[in-house]
Amino acid sequence: MSRAMRIVPAVIATATLAAVLLMAAPAQAQFRLPNLDVNRLVDSVKNVSKAAKEIDEPEEIAIGRDVAARLLGAAPLASDARMQRYVNNVGRWLASQTERPDLPWQFGVLEAPELNAFAVPGGTIFITRGLLEKMSSEAELAGVLAHEIVHVLRKHHLKAIQKGALASLGGEAAALALKNTRSDARDKLVSFGTEMYARGLDKGDELEADRLGVVVAARAGYDAYGLPTVLQSLQAMNAQDSGLALMFKTHPAPAERLDALHAMQATLDRYSSQPQLTGRFATEVRAAR
Amino acid sequence: MRSFLLLFFLFPVISAAEPATVIRATELKREPATDAAPVAQLPEGTAVDALERKSGWTRVKAPAGEGWVKMLALRYGGPGAAKQGDSGVTQLFNVARTGSSGTQVTTGVRGLDDKQLANAQPNPGELAKMKGFAADRTAAAGFASKGKLSAVKVDYPAQ
Repeated sequence: MSRAMRIVPAVIATATLAAVLLMAAPAQAQFRLPNLDVNRLVDSVKNVSKAAKEIDEPEEIAIGRDVAARLLGAAPLASDARMQRYVNNVGRWLASQTERPDLPWQFGVLEAPELNAFAVPGGTIFITRGLLEKMSSEAELAGVLAHEIVHVLRKHHLKAIQKGALASLGGEAAALALKNTRSDARDKLVSFGTEMYARGLDKGDELEADRLGVVVAARAGYDAYGLPTVLQSLQAMNAQDSGLALMFKTHPAPAERLDALHAMQATLDRYSSQPQLTGRFATEVRAAR
Repeated sequence: MRSFLLLFFLFPVISAAEPATVIRATELKREPATDAAPVAQLPEGTAVDALERKSGWTRVKAPAGEGWVKMLALRYGGPGAAKQGDSGVTQLFNVARTGSSGTQVTTGVRGLDDKQLANAQPNPGELAKMKGFAADRTAAAGFASKGKLSAVKVDYPAQ
């Protein structure tokens, strides 16, 4: 536990106190609270927003571990070990091309027929068997994993969990939940973090993950059109398909995402002749069926 | 019978003609390449049949002829035509899950929807198993080089 994280609850508690005191200003005057160091309180209030922005990496990883365990309670891993190792190799190679190459990256194929993928803070990525089997090349898999990797790089879910915790639990309990892994508040935080995958992120986060995901896949040497190809496959499916319900609820429509990727046309074309590895994908994934 | 079955399985791989619409004016090319000879200019809204995909290009049958267009210039579905049907995956699984009696039966496979996410309990055993499948950087680099993938420097787009 870093010093910064130990300080958070104290800072938030002080700030909460300060906020209560400020709201109760007339009462304060009435009861003449002694020795109130206003300057220190003002500093603490300033610090709370700063401190709330700083969940350090070990904390991020610990929160992610708890959320990942919940997601695996919703759907277990697909049983094929060869396919699981294959997806981990693709994912780790992609992650190695990013600004956070040494997170404890791990990738899991969930035994679920729906089409979806999830990024968990700290470097855990899930893809459903339903989505994997909709693909036809390693470049497509790389495109989807790269999109999820960007969510982790940019801490999209972590920030949403933190924001939600502050809003629903309040500053003090949120700080406790982020710090203390064995508390009721922590359970609430992790439940909230898990349910977030049913609510989705901001549209801007998703479109950013698409744009930067294209770059990460290109850096790893794949045909950059992997992600747009998957989006087009999804776009060609019936929007009412039950396997797409959760993904369509939590993401912008594929057509809108493809429109937004038009801005990446130059990058896409520049790296479009890199390998797609359809043969290796077929061997490693389709053989597992 | 045998050849019929074979055809049945090959069909999706060859990919059936899929109705699509050109969403912005684009050139129909003889080959899937920017410098390929043009076949025709397709105006926005042209209805085509998409035949196959090759990286950023899709081969289409247009009123003006056959050729390749930029993948991002195409959207599937005719103009305003919603696609009918369902892949059926989840229905199939739902039947397996509920059985004819409507009660939960154990199949080892469950769907993944918002209810399941809301009610999920931690599964530390699966988490431990997942860790066992993880690849380290060195192994992943070896895997990449086996696939003839080379890392290249590409900058993120300016925000």
